Amino acid sequence: MRLALPLALGLLLFVAVAAPAPAQEGGALLPRVVDEAAVPGVMAKAVDGFILPGYRNLAETTKALSEATAALCKAPSAASLEAARSAFSGVVQSWSAIEIIRLGPALEQNRFERFLFYPDRKSTGLKQVQAILAKGDESATQAETLKAKSVAVQGLGALEYALYGTGAETLSGKQGDFRCRYGLAISENLDTIAGELLAEWDKPDGIQAAWKQPGPGNPLFRDNKEAATELLGVLVHGVEMVKDQRLRPFYAGAVDGKRDPGHPRLAIYWRSVNTMPSVSTNFRALQKLFDTAGMESLLPADSRSIAGSINFLFKALINAADRINGPIDAALADERQRSTLDFIALNTADLTDRLNRDFGGAIGLGAGFSFADGD
Amino acid sequence: MARPSSQGEGWAGLCLCLDSADVCHGKRMNAKNLIDRRSFVKMAGAAWVAALGSRGAFALERTDAVFASAFMAPDGSYGVATLTEEGEIVDRTLLPARAHGMAFSPVSHRAVAFARRPGTYAMIFACDGTAKPVIITAAEGRHFFGHGCFSADGRLLYATENDFAANRGMVGIYDGGQDFARIGEFPTYGIGPHDMTLSADGSTLAIANGGIETHPDFGRAKLNLDHMEPSLTLVDTATGALIEKHALPPDLRQLSTRHVDIGADGRIWFGCQYEGARDDLPPLVGHFAKGEALAFVALPERTTLALANYVGAIAVNRHEELVGLTSPKGNIAVTLDARTGRVLKEERIVEAAGVAAAEHGFAVSSYDGYFKQHRSPVAWDQHIVRLSAG
Repeated sequence: MRLALPLALGLLLFVAVAAPAPAQEGGALLPRVVDEAAVPGVMAKAVDGFILPGYRNLAETTKALSEATAALCKAPSAASLEAARSAFSGVVQSWSAIEIIRLGPALEQNRFERFLFYPDRKSTGLKQVQAILAKGDESATQAETLKAKSVAVQGLGALEYALYGTGAETLSGKQGDFRCRYGLAISENLDTIAGELLAEWDKPDGIQAAWKQPGPGNPLFRDNKEAATELLGVLVHGVEMVKDQRLRPFYAGAVDGKRDPGHPRLAIYWRSVNTMPSVSTNFRALQKLFDTAGMESLLPADSRSIAGSINFLFKALINAADRINGPIDAALADERQRSTLDFIALNTADLTDRLNRDFGGAIGLGAGFSFADGD
Repeated sequence: MARPSSQGEGWAGLCLCLDSADVCHGKRMNAKNLIDRRSFVKMAGAAWVAALGSRGAFALERTDAVFASAFMAPDGSYGVATLTEEGEIVDRTLLPARAHGMAFSPVSHRAVAFARRPGTYAMIFACDGTAKPVIITAAEGRHFFGHGCFSADGRLLYATENDFAANRGMVGIYDGGQDFARIGEFPTYGIGPHDMTLSADGSTLAIANGGIETHPDFGRAKLNLDHMEPSLTLVDTATGALIEKHALPPDLRQLSTRHVDIGADGRIWFGCQYEGARDDLPPLVGHFAKGEALAFVALPERTTLALANYVGAIAVNRHEELVGLTSPKGNIAVTLDARTGRVLKEERIVEAAGVAAAEHGFAVSSYDGYFKQHRSPVAWDQHIVRLSAG
């Protein structure tokens, strides 16, 4: 009987396709359908347990960064520079934990690119930052006027250069005054963006309401399937982001049988030695979203093992990312650490498949899950 | 990538012009192609290229091959297949990454499959079996958007591309007489071009500028949903000059114009995807002819709801004067009367994907493997090309 079931369902599906039938009736005959009862709860947990705390944490760390940078400008010293740098790393961590939410308010007003412009392939952003510092462009020292400038000179990349790049040692003395005020404007800009993101998600009748109650009349999701698609999309695109936009820019793995020597100066946050801590936090964030939202509960009972495989891969990736310590140029020069990067690349590809095909298929999203996203 | 075996459905080894010692279209590869080879191998992986194996020809030339479409196999690999009028697979071949749009030239008997955006390759097949498939890779600073078409004489290939540093749409021009070397480009006069189609006389490209800004550094993320600039443009293929541009009105600024097809009378039909509020009821299909303003079809509310604010593909059946629309999000295929815009048929098709003119009406495929009434163990991609004139 167990064996006969899928076949019978397949025949029913064929009938549903061949003969026009009302939407609900046809959908109910699919072998894998979205668990209508479970989705709203999962979406609510994603918002309350992951997204809101994530943005709250981001806003707290950007506030601390603004304060630490203001203190540095007011009383420059080796100690206050160290405090500002530490606050910067705090924002890198909190951003890496929430940047996987690339939708809604993050995509409005170019907030995402303004917060983090990366990778800067042709060093366009770096040159713009260097020009501001060389000319002493005062319009870059006010958050309000900085906001109107290139996205590359107002976010984490620009601030990292101010705090760690060539000439950053001047920050511990009076000769670093302009550089510090520019850094402060960036910090305040980041704090403003983080505040806007939190405010948008915090509105009880705003995007969080849309996430929690899919249905007709909802401005984002007409039904639970659309909502589940968006949520799983965060995970799939997040894993792809780490693979394609965080790791590949500085290490391409084996090409033509030869191992890429790597490009340490293209690595994200290389100056502040935050490259792999950020990647590790990206993976932790993805796993946290998966677990906190209770996405496993969307799986039919006979497919729960898929969640186990996904968590196994997350753990392996986090462990591997944590094993790569210290400056990224040293890691790239080390055969063993490059092997670890290969391991990460291989397993992110596997994880994408597990989420996209195995999990997406099992919870009733089918191949259509990732096929129809805007083409 | 896993090498398929014993599928019993004619997996054909590909013959690619990738090797420096290889001969392509009777000519030795030049330095440009060598660079292309490296970047292609880098993208596809040496294992994939090595797995191409034997030199059987992909059977596009078989007379029973009427359609072609890209697909994803159950093991997650990607390819292109040809199909009969009934939707049975004639032949198929592997591709290194997911393909999306396809085009065909009845003059040169060549077909092309474009990588999905932000794609970096396109593969051109000779349908008469006289030449090996050719891979082209995107130029530095450009990527493909997944669609294109051949010139009227079949010699040139036009591709929609992204000049992502400048955030402007471009049409890349590739010369079939020179192994599809890139010989030039001109603007699409808009942001985020997607599909385009050619007038019957070959003089004009009708381009759907979806209006959405993307950048490969941000993957597939849509970066300007709150300030989109969708438009439709007509561009002179001889000069690259803009003939006319139809920007969507401010109240439809979030209506992305994405796919186009052209009627026997030269009228351009376009299908849209709405990025605004999900509970809005925007117009999703429209048409215009040169010198005319855009006209939207006033679909019944029921049909608009059923299409889920997302027309995935559009096709014109020129003999029967019909327009076909599909929506994978709405699980529906809709047929319109091209003369009146009236809805003639709505058919529920789970995850309806591609649509192309059939002998009568339309052939519709689906993500879950249906192509007309025939089901194959693949997920069909969102577009079908008909391998014949008209």
